[in-house]
Formats: sequence, structure tokens, C-alpha cells
Amino acid sequence: MSDAVSELREPLTARPVSYAEITADIARPLEGKPTRLWYLGIGISGTALLLGMLAIGYTISTGIGTWGLNRTVGWAFDITNFVFWVGIGHAGTLISAVLFLFRQRWRTAVNRSAEAMTIFAVLCAALFPLIHMGRPWLAFWPMPYPNLRGSLWINWRSPLFWDVIAISTYFIISATFWYVGLIPDFATLRDRFRGLKKKVFSFLSLGWNGSARTWQRYEVVYLLLAGLATPLVFSVHTIVSFDFATSVIPGWHTTIFPPYFVAGAIFSGLSMVLTLMLVARKVMRLENYITKGHVGSMCKLIIGMGGIVGLAYATEFFIAWYSGNPYEQFVFMNRALGPFAWAYWIMVSCNVIVPQLFWSGRIRQNLALVFGLSLLINVGMWFERFVIIVTSLHRDFLPSSWASYKPTLIEVVTLIGSFGLFFTLFFLFCRFLPVIAIGEIKGVSQWAQKKPQEVGSGGGGGDGAADSTVNGQTEEANA
Amino acid sequence: MTSPTRRSFLKLSGFSMLAACSRGLDQKAIPLLVPHEERVPGRAVWYATGCSGCAAGCGVLARSRDGRPVKLEGNPAHPLSKGGLCATGQASVLSLYDSHRLHGPRSRGEAVDWKRVDAEVRAGIEAARGSGTAVRFLTGTIHSPTVLAAIRSFGARFGNFQHVQYDALSSSAQLDVYEKMLGTRALPRPRFDRADVIVGFDADFLATWISPVEYTRDYRAGRSLEEDGRHSYHVQFEARVSLTGANADRRFVRSPDGLRDAISELAVAVARRTGASIPLTATPKPEIKELAARLTAADRGTTLIVCGLDDADAQKTVAWINTQLGNYETTLETGRLSHQSQGSDTDLLALQREIRAGAVGLLFVAQCNPTYDRPGLLDLTKVNTVVSFAGHDDETASKAQFVCPDHHPLESWGDAEAVDGIVTVSQPLVAPLFQTRALVDSLNIWTGGTDGDASSAYDLMRATWKQALLPRAGAGAGSFDTFWAKAVHDGFAKLKPATVRVKPPAASTLRASAREPGTEGLALVLYAKTGMLDGRHANNPWLHELPDPVTKIVWDNYACLSATAASRLDVKEGDLVDAGGVKLPVHIQPGQHDDVVAIALGYGRKGTDRFAHVGPDWLEGDPTVEDGEFVGKNAAVLRGKARVAVKTANGRRVLACTQPYQSLTVPEELGGDKRPMVHETTLKEHRRPSASPEEAHGSHGGSVDLWPDDHRFKGHHWALTADLSACTGCSACVIGCQAENNVPVVGKDEVARAREMHWIRIDRYRDDGDVAHQPVMCQQCDNAPCETVCPVLATVQSSEGLNQQVYNRCVGTRYCANNCPYKVRRFNWFDYPHDDRLANASLNPDVVVRSRGIMEKCSFCVQRITEAKAEAKREGRPLRDGDISPACVQSCPADALVFGDRNDPDSAVSKAWTDRRQYRLLEELNTKPSVGYLSLVRNRDV
Repeated sequence: MSDAVSELREPLTARPVSYAEITADIARPLEGKPTRLWYLGIGISGTALLLGMLAIGYTISTGIGTWGLNRTVGWAFDITNFVFWVGIGHAGTLISAVLFLFRQRWRTAVNRSAEAMTIFAVLCAALFPLIHMGRPWLAFWPMPYPNLRGSLWINWRSPLFWDVIAISTYFIISATFWYVGLIPDFATLRDRFRGLKKKVFSFLSLGWNGSARTWQRYEVVYLLLAGLATPLVFSVHTIVSFDFATSVIPGWHTTIFPPYFVAGAIFSGLSMVLTLMLVARKVMRLENYITKGHVGSMCKLIIGMGGIVGLAYATEFFIAWYSGNPYEQFVFMNRALGPFAWAYWIMVSCNVIVPQLFWSGRIRQNLALVFGLSLLINVGMWFERFVIIVTSLHRDFLPSSWASYKPTLIEVVTLIGSFGLFFTLFFLFCRFLPVIAIGEIKGVSQWAQKKPQEVGSGGGGGDGAADSTVNGQTEEANA
Repeated sequence: MTSPTRRSFLKLSGFSMLAACSRGLDQKAIPLLVPHEERVPGRAVWYATGCSGCAAGCGVLARSRDGRPVKLEGNPAHPLSKGGLCATGQASVLSLYDSHRLHGPRSRGEAVDWKRVDAEVRAGIEAARGSGTAVRFLTGTIHSPTVLAAIRSFGARFGNFQHVQYDALSSSAQLDVYEKMLGTRALPRPRFDRADVIVGFDADFLATWISPVEYTRDYRAGRSLEEDGRHSYHVQFEARVSLTGANADRRFVRSPDGLRDAISELAVAVARRTGASIPLTATPKPEIKELAARLTAADRGTTLIVCGLDDADAQKTVAWINTQLGNYETTLETGRLSHQSQGSDTDLLALQREIRAGAVGLLFVAQCNPTYDRPGLLDLTKVNTVVSFAGHDDETASKAQFVCPDHHPLESWGDAEAVDGIVTVSQPLVAPLFQTRALVDSLNIWTGGTDGDASSAYDLMRATWKQALLPRAGAGAGSFDTFWAKAVHDGFAKLKPATVRVKPPAASTLRASAREPGTEGLALVLYAKTGMLDGRHANNPWLHELPDPVTKIVWDNYACLSATAASRLDVKEGDLVDAGGVKLPVHIQPGQHDDVVAIALGYGRKGTDRFAHVGPDWLEGDPTVEDGEFVGKNAAVLRGKARVAVKTANGRRVLACTQPYQSLTVPEELGGDKRPMVHETTLKEHRRPSASPEEAHGSHGGSVDLWPDDHRFKGHHWALTADLSACTGCSACVIGCQAENNVPVVGKDEVARAREMHWIRIDRYRDDGDVAHQPVMCQQCDNAPCETVCPVLATVQSSEGLNQQVYNRCVGTRYCANNCPYKVRRFNWFDYPHDDRLANASLNPDVVVRSRGIMEKCSFCVQRITEAKAEAKREGRPLRDGDISPACVQSCPADALVFGDRNDPDSAVSKAWTDRRQYRLLEELNTKPSVGYLSLVRNRDV
């Protein structure tokens, strides 16, 4: 990870900074008082979280009937939110693991927050299968644990059980990956703090000493974890898509779902990372590290994923027509022209048309616009899941059982609450942990790219030697 | 004898105690404190009794569990109902446990004891006897020999006494016509099983008209699909859409006036063909001509024309046509006349005049509610003393000085001679729950009878039977005790019918019906709705939540308008209209006449405000009715009006419909395909000899199966078939299932949110004017899509082909319901209210009451399967075909449902399974359902 970056490339930090400045900049939010914007942010998200908790409490105490579901539409907001949040998580893994393996070094500015986002999103996602149960207090029953209930066991054929395994695996790997990546930064923070904070960070940094051997082992572990996490980018959403693909309901029973869902998940995750990057950049004053170049790269990825998603939409329609299956054909006609056509066209406009705007470099450079468009894609991707779930269910085989669906206030507040949870966790993360991997960003800073002979005359590099978190090569360079 | 020892003292005292405790009389309910030889806790006992839902007089078998009746089923031996029981009858068991029944007698609105009310009523009686004022006994149709005898002997004590009967759903005009023809106020019994051609004029005989269960049985019997069997051709003329019309082979829409014209036209057309001359002038329309040709071409006495219009001229013309076609004594049985409707509107109007004149000093009201169903007709304030026998504080009872509540029929002895010579016996299944008293007891006590011992009803009934019925039983009946014991055991006694000679109406007296005056507004049709009938069951929540077989709407009545009429008024479904002063939501009813507004009777009953919070109470939940409002509006205030002005009114009222999309054809803009849920054919096509079953409907054999062949069902393989040709959509099965399986009532708002809980539904599809009814319950798939997706194995396949739902394992993911292609699974969205502890007594102890958050569905009545298997094992014999009958199958008056073991090649279900008409829903999904359907056969040429 310490390969030199070509001088022809745009630098990955906006202006040249020394190691000391980097450390100071990134540790600043942890040391001083938070900005007003931060207070505002956590205030809003905390309120949303609180409201969501109230709504969930009401649901659990009163019954699933407090949602707008019915005999025909058994899932709607609940599983839509679940799939949406799982999808969000994917970009985090993609950026931290897949881009790492592909040596996309621009990822260093965003990987930490993307990984944090993954974990928070998986937490939000895990909430919904839990509370969507009629009897959530029995939520441990889908776990394969030894029990005294005779021959009662779990159903290995049920995609919901596969989900349980996939999501928990994903959470464990992502959390481990994130934590391992944080260890060098914990050590940096340990060195900067006194008192309780020092004790906490000492504990968390697992006795990191910044030696070349430590760095070398760290990088091996990190590489292995990246390798382990990479398949998860594909497996988790594949399995989530099995919830639908293995069913018999037209509109769900579709073989295209695994790749379609994975592409959709990455697509939605990228737009969420983009949203968060732009927020963190502003709120945490990290303009120097999260540059327009980063934003541009994200936008380009989004164009690519958006294209795959658009192709999937078209393929679905083609196959429905080509299959000659009247139920299948009807579901797609009903999506585009039926009572939920508005949801379908929101989905198509946000996911297929909006990303096309990113072809323009001017738009990619206009951060306010990019922020708005990234939000639109988030909306579109939420509607994609809503469309798949609700429009397929509400008019299936027997016309006698056709029904409509309208969310209740409780469901809407629960959705808001999940955003509250997500952003509360994110704001806490911004306040208490380094949002950018200090060790990694140093490796890509212009200062690190200097030849050894230039180092002596380099400005402000003096206390770099005292910094135990400078990565291996620069350590050697200092020597 | 030695002096008493301690031991002998104890023996003696013990014996005397036991003697004092014993309640040896069988007519009393037996408390479980005294173990009874036949009573095994947990084992059901069945008693034959009579149904009290309406005056049709069906026979019932009541299932008693641990001393309380929990389920009513048709008595297969009963000569009228032959094992069928309608929704109303099924639901009447819940009315027994109605905590809103009067708990005891009332005097001037105040709860008092019987002693006091007896003294006061006696004083009233003495005063009336002294003053010689008119004493009137007003009832609905009563055909109970015991009650009639009691009223007669009670009336004999007065100088000026008259028993007035009227029916809320009146057949008075028809009775008037037949009174002249038969010499007695009775109706000939229509025999739909003997008719080749059936013509109905506005008679909803499959749903609400006079005796629907009996008629449905007969109708079905006359529609055989065998090569040489009789299959009637049924034509219905009507203004609104009735269930009978929906089942007809041909249905013609006429306005109410047009119906009367059609009768005249038919008379003219028939007269032309038979050469009779009649003083009617009408030009028969082509379809009438064709019908007349069919009628006259058929053998004499094999056609049947029934008319439900309350119009004497029309009834007379119909009687004349029936005479011309030789239908009396064949399809219109006069050997056993029907007493199922007895009311006389003439008598009622006479009573009105007497009351208005202040001539009536004492009025008894029993089994009717004139203040509700004839609003404003009887001014009860002008009667000195009104005594009501109502079981509820209804509209009339609340105006009476004294209310002496009668028992629920399941609490008392009773009889009913609905049809000449067929006397149904009712026996008590439970001790009276409240301080109520049988009507005959009350009358007996007031005329100086015994002190109010409840056994007197029993004695009075026996006395009547000995005196009046035994002589009619014929020589074979044996002694009275044998006769009585057999009647109580069987639930009915068959007596020799009286002989009646029919005096046909003279052709010269036929007259065209008077045209209804006026042209403003719309022609008004007031009709009875399945279950609710005339409103006497308005306290029964099961019937309110029963989807109407025609509209599929629950918990409301509404103004039915055709689409054209609605667009003229510029109203949409649910918009309020003012129909002659009654504000009702609009229901757009395809197939109705454009000049008609049809409104159901039986709604807006006092006391139905109790259902405001019948469903779950939560943040966004709407009450079933607003506080203080009643369920629906009373349309009886419009009685007598031929036309009403219909105006738009402000506001909307959402109508809760269980099936919003009513066609098999998907919307035109979404493809417009017709879905193959209902297979249909014509009689001709069906009887065309075809090579093989496969040819008949393209079987789906030889498909590749991804499933391992790991469940082979070696023992039993339970299956059910539903014959769409037989099913009339009457919905008796829905209530039968609800009673059997403790299905909760969820209220209007929940139904409007598509969360009704019924385990069986009747899908009703209307395409090109044709209606098809399809009962759908869990299809018990062998390859069940629900089973694979449940993460906790809460729904699994049994070794006998049942798809079992394990309630206590279910965590409520609802994945199974999503993946069910038939959408038959029901989720417990809330803890449904079970606060009424008395109503809980109607719960079937064999079926668990499901809690919140779990999935439920039809189980093929697995508790009955288990019970029958245990019984067969106890008796050391194999199970026989017919031992097991799920609640829906049992209740079906049309025998449309057949249940049994597919592994038994001789079972009825196996035979149906190989029928040429057999198909399965969504067979192409390879779910292998255990429910088969037999295609719908219509008797028409194309």
C-alpha cells in the first residue's frame, strides 16, 4: 500500500501537509469541542432515533397490525427498509476491501467512514427482521442453537435462515475489518491523550508499538481480511435476493435477482457513501482530505453501477415478455402502469436517469448538486425495494385476493427512526473516532511521496519521527 | 331395629343429601358436579334440536362440550333441511352467549323479579278481562303447535282476543292468494328437485326467501350432471342482483314494474300456447316467448314458477300459470303445505286501526319487533298495557310496560311444524343462562298455572303432543312415550299430512298489477340480506362480519345503484346519498336495473352501537360504528314507497369489502387476460361423450419435479373437492368454520384494511354478466410453498397430506403468507378482544384461541380428523368414508364440498378426484394442492 503515486496523477490531498498536520487535523474533532453543525446534526438524528424507538415500542406492545400490512401484502416498509439498509452497507465493504485489493489508493480518504457506514447500516438492517416478527421476543428461534424442544430445529431450506447467517457473518467480518483498520489510529490517539481516554485507547490499540514488524503483520492481517470480506460484497445481497427469488410469487421468482441485487446494493451504497462524505467533509472540516477528486471517482462508479441496475430493469421486462407467462407479464405491466406506477417511475427516474447526469464533469465538481443527486439515488433505491416487494405482492395470482397497501404513521416513523439510528451512530463516530484512516492517508500524502533526500529540507516533518503511526515505508524513509 | 349408630347415621344422612341433590329430570341441564354416565369430560355429545334462525324450521344437531352448546350443524336425517344449515342458523349459537340479552324481566324499564312482574301482568290481564277491551297477541310467524295451543288457550280467557301474525319479510299477498286456493292460510311447498324448468320472479330462494336451506338442497338435487339425470334450466327475472339470480342459467333484469309486466307477458305467452283465454293484454318479449315455449314443451308438472313479489295480482297470475302447466301436486307440493310464512298484512293493518282507535287495552308482542320493522305503524302509547317477550331490549320491548324475556331456543323445549306433518323438536342444551322464562310458561303462569317451575314448558309441550300430534302420527307410532322418545331422539316427528284440494284461480279474475305511481327518483327495492334477514340477528357479530354473498361487503347496508344510475347522480362507491331521507353510502352494483335503488333491511337496529369497538383498539384504528350510531341504517322507514328520490348528500362512508377486485379478467390497460381460476363449460359440452379425462380439461401430467419423492402419504391422504356447479355462494361454510375454529371477529376497519380472519372465503367473480362462486380455503398443498420458507418449521407437512400450522412455534415472519399463491393464510395482527367472558363460552375447546403475532389458516378441521380416528380406534374398526366432515363440508346445503381420503379408492373424494370436471387451482405451479375443483357447468346452449 505504500507504492509511489504517479506525479502525473492529481494529488490525493488538496494541499501538501506534513504528517503532524494530518494527525492534528484528523484528531481535532476528538480533542476540541464539536462544531455547532455537529450538535445540530446529532440533535436531529437523535430526535429521529427517539421517535423511531417510540414507534417500535408501540409496534411491539400492540402488534404488527399497527402497520399497514394485510392478508395479501405481508411485507412492505419492514423488508423494504431491511433490504435498503443491507444494500447501503455494501459500498463500505466494496470501498474498503475490493478497492483495497485493486490498489485504488483514493479510497484512503473514505474507507474509514465507509466501513463505519457498513456497520451502522447493517445494524439498521438487522433491526427490521427483528421487529417485523409477530413475536419478536422469540427472535432467537431462527438460530440453530442446541435446545430442549425435542426435535424442533430450524428450517435449513428457508431463505430467512440463510439471511440470518449471511447478515451475521457480514456484520462480524465488517466489524473485525473495521476494528483492525483502527488499531494504528487508536495508538496515535493513545499517544495524544491523557487520563481515561488514554487508558481506553491504550486498551483498544492492543499494545501497538509502530515497529516495522508490527506494521508488517498488520498489513498481512488487513490484506487477509480484505480478501475475506470481498466475497461478502457478493454473497450477502445474493442471499438477501433469495428471499424473493426462491419464492413462487411472480415478480419475485426471478433468476436475475442475485446480480441485480448486488449491483443495486453497491449502487445504493456508493450514493450513501457520497452523501455521508459530503456531510463529514463539511461538518468535520476535512476538505483537505476528501477532495473533489474523490467525489468525482465516486460519481464515476455510480454511473457504472447505475448502468447495470438500468440494464437489470430492462432485462426483467424483456424476460417477462419473452417467458410468455401471463402472471409474470401482468406483474410488470402492473408495475409500470398499475396503482403503484408512481413508485415505479420514481425508481426509474432516480436510478437510471439521475446517474446519467454524472457524465458531466461540471456536475461532478458541483458538490451541492452531487449531494442532491446522491440523495435522489438513495430515494430511488429505497423505492426499488418497495416496488419489488409491494407491487409483486399486492396483485398476485388470484384476483379475488388483490389488495392495496398504505403505510401507517407508525411505519413511516419507524423508517425515520432507522435513519435516526444510522446518523446518530455516524455523528458519534465522527466525534469519537478518526473519520479518516490516519496511517493510510499519510501513505498517500504528497509528503510521503517525496524522495528520501528531499525529506531533510521538507517543511514541518520534524515530529513525524515521534509519530508511531507513520506507515512502514515512510518510517524507513525517515530513518 | 337397633338404635342408630354413628355409621348408620352417616349413611342415612348421606343418602338423604344425595336424594336432595339429585336432579333426575332429563329436561334440565345436568351440572358437571354430578357425573353423568354418558358424560365424559372432553367428549362432545350431540343432541337433535331445531333451528331458530328463521321460520324455515330446519333440523339441527347441536354439539355440546362439557355442558355447553358450541356448534350447530344440520341434522342429516331431517326431512326438510337434510343436513344443511345456513349461515344464520350456524351463527345462532353465538346469540345464546350474548351478554346483551335481557338478564331478567323488566317492569316499566326497571329490572325486577318474576314475582313482581307476574303480579303486575296478572293485574293487567284481570283489568282487561273486567273491562272487556280488545286483547291482541302480535307475533311473527309461529308454527309451533305448543305455542299456538298455549296462545289459543290463553286467548280463550278473554272475550275479545285475536292472535295477529305478520312477517317482517312478508309473503302476505302470496298467502292471501293461496288462502283462497287451498282453503287454509298456507303455501304449497315448491319442489325445486322435481322441476325441469324453474322460473323465478324476484324470489331469492337460494338465500333469503322463505326456506333457503331446504330449497338449496332441492335445487341442487335437481341439477344432476349424470348422463340421464335431471338438470333444471333456471331463469331468473329480477330488479336487483340476488344470489339466486347470480346462480341462474339465464338472468333477465327488469324494473319492479317490468317484473309485473313480465309475469303478465308470460301468462299471455303460455295462454297462447295452451289455447286458454285470459283477460290480460301484454306483448311478450322474445325471451319470454322462448321461455313460454320451453315451459309448454316440458312435461306437465315438471316446471316451477316462483314469485317473491308482495303483489296479489302478480301472485295470482303466477298461480294461474302454474295451474296451466300442471305444477300443483308435483313441483308445488300440496300434500305437505308450508307454514314457514304465515303473516297477514291485512290483520296487521286492522290491528293498526284498532290501536289508533284506542280499542286495544292489552297487547302481547312476541317474536317480532314491529316498532323496528314497521316504523310508525303501531302507536303503542295508545295501548294500556304492552307485554313483550323479547330477549333483548329491542325497539318494541323498550316501549313495552313489561318485558318477560323468552329463553334462547337452545335453553328451552320447543317444537315447530314448518311443513305440514313434519314437526321439529327443540330441546334445551343448557340451563337458562339468565332469569328468562319460556313464553308458554309465562302464559301458563298468568292463567293460574304452576308456580313458574321451568319444567312446565316441558309438560305443556308433552301435553300438546299427546293431545294433538299423537293422533296424527298414525298407527305405527306406538305409545306416546315411544313416539315422544323417538321424536326427541330424531329431532323431528313425521305425521300424516293433511289432504288439501287446490282450487285453481279462475282465468277471468286475472288482472294486470297496478303500475306503481310516480316517475320521480328511482324505483325502491328493499331486500333481505343473507344472515341479517329482517334484522332479528343484528346482535350477532359473526353475521355482521359475514361478507355478503353478492357484494362481499361487511358491517353495513348501502344503497345499491347500477353504474349508469350512479353516474347520473355523479356519485362513486362510498359516497353518501339521501334515499327518501335515509342517508346511505352508495354501492355500485353491476347487473342491477338502472332505474332501481336497492337497500337491505335489517340494519340500524337498536343495540348495535355495542359494536363500536368490536375490533382492536389502536392508534389509527377506526371504530366499526361511530359512538352512539347503529350498524347501518333502518330502511324499513321506506316501506310502502314504490319510488324514492335519491339525492347526493355530503360525505363518504368507506364500505369494507373483502374482495375489491371482482373479475377474473385483469384490467384492460394491464393486458386484459382472463385468468383460469374458474373452469366453465355448458351442460351440452359436459355431456358430450369425451375420450378421456385429459381431453376434457387438458391435464398437466408428466411434469418434471424438482422435489424429492420423500412424502408419499402411505396411510391417509386427506383431500377435499369443491363443486363449482353446486356451490351457490350462500356462505354457510364461512360461519360454520368460524364457529368451529374460533375465528375472531375483527370489526369493519380491519376488514377494510384487508385483514379479515375467515379461514374460508367464497371468491366471487363476475365476467360478462356471469357470476361464479369459488370457495377457497387452505389448499393443503403436497408441495407447499409456505413450508419451505418458514425459518422455524412452524408449518410442516403431516404424513397424511395436511399442511399443519404449529401455532406455538410460529414467530410471525409472514413469509409463508407472502409465498402462498392462494393467499389463504391469516395473520393475527392484534390480540383480538376476548373481553366478553360469556361470548367466550361459545369457543370450541378443541381448537386453540390464537394469540397475537402468529399465522393461522384452515386445518381441514384437524381436530375432527383426530376425533374420528380416535373414535374408530376405540371401536376397533377402520375409518369409514364420511366419518370425517370438516365444518365447511358439513354445513353445505348444496353438498358442494366433499372431504375424504384420496388413498381410499372408494371414497367419495377419490371419485370426485377422477371426475372429468376436476382441476386444481394454479396446477402449473406444481404445488399439488389437496383441494380439487369441479368445473362450473351452466345449462345453456352457448
